[in-house]
Amino acid sequence: MSYLARRLIRAILLLTGVSALCFLFTEMAPGTFFDEMRLNPQISPETISALRSHYGLDQPLLLRYGRWVKSALHADFGYSIAYNVPVAPLLWSRAKNTLLLTTTALLLTWLISVPLGVWAASRRGGLLDKVVTIGSSFLVSAPELVIAIGLLAAAVRWRILRVGGMMSIDFEGLSTSGKLQDILLHLALPALILVLCETAVIVRHVRASVLEVLDAPYIQAACGFGIKSDRVLFRHVLPVAANTAISLLGFSLAGLLSGSMLVEAVCGWPGLGPLMLEATLSRDLYLVIGGIMFSSLFTLSGGLIADIMLLASDPRIRREGSDAQ
Amino acid sequence: MKRIAGLPLLYVCLLAGACFAAKVAPEAAKPGEELARMADVSGRYGGHLTIGQRSEPKTLNPVMATDAVSREVIGRLMGDLIEINRSSQQTEPALAKSWKISSDGRTFTLQLRKGIRFSDGFPFDADDVVFSFGVYMDGAVDSPQRDLLIIDGKPITVTKVDQYTVRFVLPRPYAAAERLFDGLAMLPQHLLEKPYREGHFTQAWSLNAPTSEIAGLGPFRLKEYVLGQRIVVERNPFYWKVDSENQRLPYLDELVFLFVGTEDAQVMRFEAGETDIISRLSAENYNLLTREKARIALQLADMGPSLEYNFLLFNLNDLGAKKLDEVSKKQAWFRDLKFRQAISAAVDRESIVNLVYGARGTALWGNVGPGNKLWINQAIPHPSRSIERARELLKSAGYKWNSTGQLLDASGQPVEFSIITSSSNSQRMKMATLLQDDLAHLGMQVHIVPLEFRALIDRVFQSFNYDAAIMALGGGDADPNPEMNVWAYSGTSHLWHLGETQPATDWEHKLDQLMQQQMVTLDYAQRKKLYDRAQQLIAENLPFIFLGTPNILAGANSRVGNFHPAVLDPYTLWNADELYVRGAALENAGVR
Amino acid sequence: MRNKIAILIAALAGLHLILLLAGFVAPYDPATQKRELPYAPPTRLHFEDAAGFHLRPFVYASTRVLGGDQAGSYQEDRTRVYPVRFLVRGSTYKVLGFYEASIHLFGVVEPARIMILGTDGYGRDEFSRVLFGGQISVAAGITATFIALLAGGILGSVAGYYGRWIDESLMGVTELFLSLPWLYFLLGVRAFLPLHLSALRTFFLLTGVIGLIGWARPARLVRGIVLSSRNRNFVLVARGFGGSDFYILRRHILPKALGVLITQAALLVPQYIAAEATLSFFGLGVSEPVPSWGNMLSVLEQYSVLVSYGWLLAPAGALIITSVLYGYLADALHSG
Repeated sequence: MSYLARRLIRAILLLTGVSALCFLFTEMAPGTFFDEMRLNPQISPETISALRSHYGLDQPLLLRYGRWVKSALHADFGYSIAYNVPVAPLLWSRAKNTLLLTTTALLLTWLISVPLGVWAASRRGGLLDKVVTIGSSFLVSAPELVIAIGLLAAAVRWRILRVGGMMSIDFEGLSTSGKLQDILLHLALPALILVLCETAVIVRHVRASVLEVLDAPYIQAACGFGIKSDRVLFRHVLPVAANTAISLLGFSLAGLLSGSMLVEAVCGWPGLGPLMLEATLSRDLYLVIGGIMFSSLFTLSGGLIADIMLLASDPRIRREGSDAQ
Repeated sequence: MKRIAGLPLLYVCLLAGACFAAKVAPEAAKPGEELARMADVSGRYGGHLTIGQRSEPKTLNPVMATDAVSREVIGRLMGDLIEINRSSQQTEPALAKSWKISSDGRTFTLQLRKGIRFSDGFPFDADDVVFSFGVYMDGAVDSPQRDLLIIDGKPITVTKVDQYTVRFVLPRPYAAAERLFDGLAMLPQHLLEKPYREGHFTQAWSLNAPTSEIAGLGPFRLKEYVLGQRIVVERNPFYWKVDSENQRLPYLDELVFLFVGTEDAQVMRFEAGETDIISRLSAENYNLLTREKARIALQLADMGPSLEYNFLLFNLNDLGAKKLDEVSKKQAWFRDLKFRQAISAAVDRESIVNLVYGARGTALWGNVGPGNKLWINQAIPHPSRSIERARELLKSAGYKWNSTGQLLDASGQPVEFSIITSSSNSQRMKMATLLQDDLAHLGMQVHIVPLEFRALIDRVFQSFNYDAAIMALGGGDADPNPEMNVWAYSGTSHLWHLGETQPATDWEHKLDQLMQQQMVTLDYAQRKKLYDRAQQLIAENLPFIFLGTPNILAGANSRVGNFHPAVLDPYTLWNADELYVRGAALENAGVR
Repeated sequence: MRNKIAILIAALAGLHLILLLAGFVAPYDPATQKRELPYAPPTRLHFEDAAGFHLRPFVYASTRVLGGDQAGSYQEDRTRVYPVRFLVRGSTYKVLGFYEASIHLFGVVEPARIMILGTDGYGRDEFSRVLFGGQISVAAGITATFIALLAGGILGSVAGYYGRWIDESLMGVTELFLSLPWLYFLLGVRAFLPLHLSALRTFFLLTGVIGLIGWARPARLVRGIVLSSRNRNFVLVARGFGGSDFYILRRHILPKALGVLITQAALLVPQYIAAEATLSFFGLGVSEPVPSWGNMLSVLEQYSVLVSYGWLLAPAGALIITSVLYGYLADALHSG
C-alpha cells in the first residue's frame, strides 16, 4: 500500500514540476503567438497588444501559472489561442487517433522483436542473426524522417497502401466492415514506419540480453545436465533476460502519446503529433502545456508499469530491505 | 443504376447513394433577384475537387481568423461587397452592384444587389452590412482586420441609407479605397447577432460549430468537418453569380479541403491522384511534376513572378538604450551607403534565381517586381554583378584589404557579421549560403545563423539583437497602400529602423512624404508618378538589398476546367466558383 | 573471436584515419561552390576510349544542359580526356587544425572535376563534404553518447544500488527529463547565446545539449539491472568481506550493466549524429558552410531531392557504415 502511496506522491510532484518548468521554459523562449502578425504591415501593434491582453499573455508569469493551476484542478486547462476552443476536449479528440496508431505499433513491435531477438541470439552467428544485426543497424542509422519519406514515396509510386489521413472521403458511406478495412489500410503505412524504427532498437537489446544470459555458466550447466533447450530458454534464460526488455517496455508505454509525432506529420495521420508540433512552434501556450501534461501522465504510467513488472518478474529485486544498507 | 437485388443490398445502396446523391442543386432564379452575370465563364455542373492544405484551418470565424489556411476555406464560404479580380488585379462589383464616390473621395455610396439570400435562404440587406462592419471595428472583439478600417487614427463610419444602400465615410481621402472591401466578409446578422451581443463572438464559428449556425454569401457552404482530416464544403444553392448562359454558379457539387501536411506530402498525394489542385509549388517539385506529366494527366502553370520581395536587411536601429555594443560597432559599416551598394553589387542574383528558384524566379533590384504590372517602375537600373565595382566602392569608402585578403575598415577592424534567417524557409537559407560565398569574394567574413521563425521575429522587432537578416515582405496586394507601414518612417514594418519618431535621414523623409501623398491621390497616373519616385529612392538608398522573387507555380489534374491560377493569394481558389470537372455527368435538371 | 575484434578495430581505425586526413583524401575544399554544376550526378570513371584500354582511369568534363527538354541534366563533354592523377596539388587544408598542406590523394586537371559522389545544390563536391562532415559528426556523436552514457550509467547505478528514496528521487528526475518540452528549452538556450559561435563552441554545445537531454534513458536501463544485481550473493559476500560501496559498484555490478551500455552506445551514436540536424533547426547546430552529416541529411527531407538526386544519400550511407562497424564491434566486445 505504501508503495503505491509513494508513487502517487511522486506523480503529483512530477506533474507539478513539469507544469512549473513548462511555464518557465515557454517564458524563456523568445516570441509569442501573435508574432506572425507583426510581419503583416496592415496590422497595427496596438491590435497585437490588445490581442495579447485579451488572452492574458501580458500578465506576469507567476500570476498566469497560479491561475492555470487553479483552473487545472477544476479540469479546465485553458483555451487554445489558435482554435479558440477549450484545450482538454481538443487534445482528447486527437489523442484517441494517436493512441490507435501507437498501441497497434507497440503490439506489433513487441510481438515481432522479442521472438526475433531471442531466435537470433539462440542461433548466434547464423543467417537470421546476421540479417537481424545488419538490418537493425541500417534502420537505426537512417534518420526516421528519411525512412518515413522513403516509405511514403514508395507507397505513392506503387499504390499499395492508402496514403495519408485516417479515413477515405467516402468513409461515411461504407459498411462497418468496410470502415474497419478503410482505417486499417490507412493505419498500415504509419504503423509500418513506427514498427520498423522501434523494432530495430528493441531487437538489439533483446538479443544482447539473451546472449549475455546464454553465456552464463549455469545455463551451460543446465544444457550439460541434458535439460531440453526449449525448457532452458523459457524457464531459465528469458526471465533473467527480461530485465532490460521490461525497462524498454516502460519506455514504449511512456511514448504512446509523444513517440509518433514525426510519422503523423509526414503521413497526415490526424493525431496529437501535428497538433502539438504546430502548437509548439506557434507558441499556442495552453495547448502546448496541456499536451505536455497529458504526455507526462503516460510517462508516469509507463514507469510505474515497468517498475511493477520488474518487481514481479525478478525475485531478487523484491528481496530488499534487510539485506541492502 | 441496377435494379433491386435484395433488401440489404438496397439499404446499402440507398445509404451510399444517399451520401453521394445528397448533392445540393442550385436554386432556380427568383424574380427580383439581381444576379451578377460573368459573361466569359462557362462550364458543366457536377463533381467534386480536392485540394490539399498545409495544415488544419483553426477557425471558420472570418473576423478572428489570421492564418492563411483558415482564410482559404473561409473565403469560399463568404462574400464581399467589392472583390479584387485576382487575374486582372482590378476591383469588380460583387455584393455591391455599383457605387458612387463623392468628389472629395471620402464618401462611398454602395448599392447592394436586391433579392440576394444567404446560404441558408435568409435574405441579405444593408442591416447585415452595418452589423458586419460594427463587429469588425469593435475594440472589444480585437479583429486583426480592424486596422484596415482605421485611417489616420479615425474609424470609417458606416450608415444605412435604405434597405439596399449603404454609405461609408472615410476620415480623409484614401486612394483605391474600394480595394479595402475585398476580404471583409459580410456576416449574417440573423445568426451572429446573438453571440455578439452576449459577448462570446470570438468563440462563434469555431470548427466545432454545427453547420446550421454557419451561413455566408460565398459560392460554397459548410457540409462537414472531419476532425484533423478534411473539411467538405458543398454548393451554395443561393449563390448570386451566374455564368454566360445564366446558370447559377458554382459548377462543383463539392470542394474538399484535405489536411495533408508538408509540401512534400502534398506533392506525393497530388501525384497519387488524391488531390486535384496544388498551389505554391517550389521549383524542384514543379520540375518533378513536369517529368511526371507523361505518367499522370496534369496541367501545370507558371504564372510568373510573385509580388513578394526577398531582401537582405541591415540593423540600423538606435541601440542606445539596449546594451548591444557588438552590434553598435558594426552599424558604422551598415550605415555607410557605399557599403550597402558594394554588397548589392557583389550579390550573384543570377545564381539566386537559378539555384534557389530553379530558374523559375526573377532577380530584384527594387521592392516592386515585374509581377506587379500596374505599379512597377521600369526605369530602375538593373546593374549586373560586378565584384570589381564592389571593391571600388569599398575602397572609396575607406576600406582596405590585408595580406590574406580580409576586408578591414578604416580603423583596421576586420569586417565580420552574421546574417540570421528563418530555418524553416529553405529558400532563404539557400540565399544566405550563396550570399556568404559572394561576400567572401570581397573579403568579408559572414556567418549564417538559422533561427526558428519566432525567435527571428523577436530579434528583428523586439530585441534588435542581430546584425543582418534575410527576410521577405509583400505579396498581399498589388496596390502600394498596404506597404505604407514599411516605408513611412514611423511605420511598424520599417524594419531597418523601427521606432523612428522623426525621419532618420533626408531620403527617408522624402520617401515618407511621397508615400503619404500617394495615399491620398485618387488619380492613378499621378499616383504612379509618385510611387515611381518612391521606388527610385528605395532602390538608390538600399534600406533593403533586394535579392529576388519566386514565380507562382501551381498545378492541377487535367480534368479541372477553368483552372486559371493567379499571382495574388489565393492563387488557385480565387475562382473556385468557376472551376468545373471535365467529363462530369450533368447531374441536375436544367436550371434556367 | 580475437581475430574478429582485431579486424573490426582495424576497419574502424582506417575509417577514422580517413576522416582525420579528410583534407588529403578529398579532392576539393568542401566549401567551394561551383554554381554552374548544381546537383551534378557522380562522374563516371572510364577505362576505355577510342585508343583502347588504359589502366589509369579518366573522366570527361561534365556540362549542364541549359535549355530544352533535358534542361538541368548533365552530359559528358567527350572532346577532351582528363586522366585521374594521384598525389596532386590542390586547395590547402589543415590537418588537426595546425599542419597546413595542399597535396590531395587524387584529382584531375581543371576545368574538369572528379565528383565521385556528385554535387549538392551549390555545386560543392559531395565526396569531400562527406569526409569533412564525418570529422565533426562522428566526434560529436561519440562524445555526446559518451557523456549521456557516463551520466546515465553513474546515476542509474547509484539509484539502483542504494534503492529506496534515492532511487525514487532519481527516477522521478528521469521522468521529469523525459517529459519536459525540450524545444522551448533549446529556443531559450539559443536566445541566450551570442549569435555566432565558433566551431569549437558549437561542438561543445552540441555534445552538451544532447548529453544533457539523453542521459535519462540509459539511467533507467542501468538502474533496472543494478536493482536485480545488488542483492546477488556475490555482492553480499563482497560486502561481508568489507568491500566499500564504490568497490562493489565498480567491480561487481558495473560489468553487468556494461552489456546494456554497449548496446545503447551502438544505438545512440547514429541517433545523435542525426539529431544534429534537428538542433540546426534551432540554430544550435553546425552552420554553413561547414559540412556535417546531420545538416547534409536535412536536405533529404525534401521529397523532390530524395527522389531526383539519389547520390545525396551518401552521408546516410556513411552513417550506416560507421554504425554497422561500431555495432559489430560492440557485439564482439560484449561477448568476447
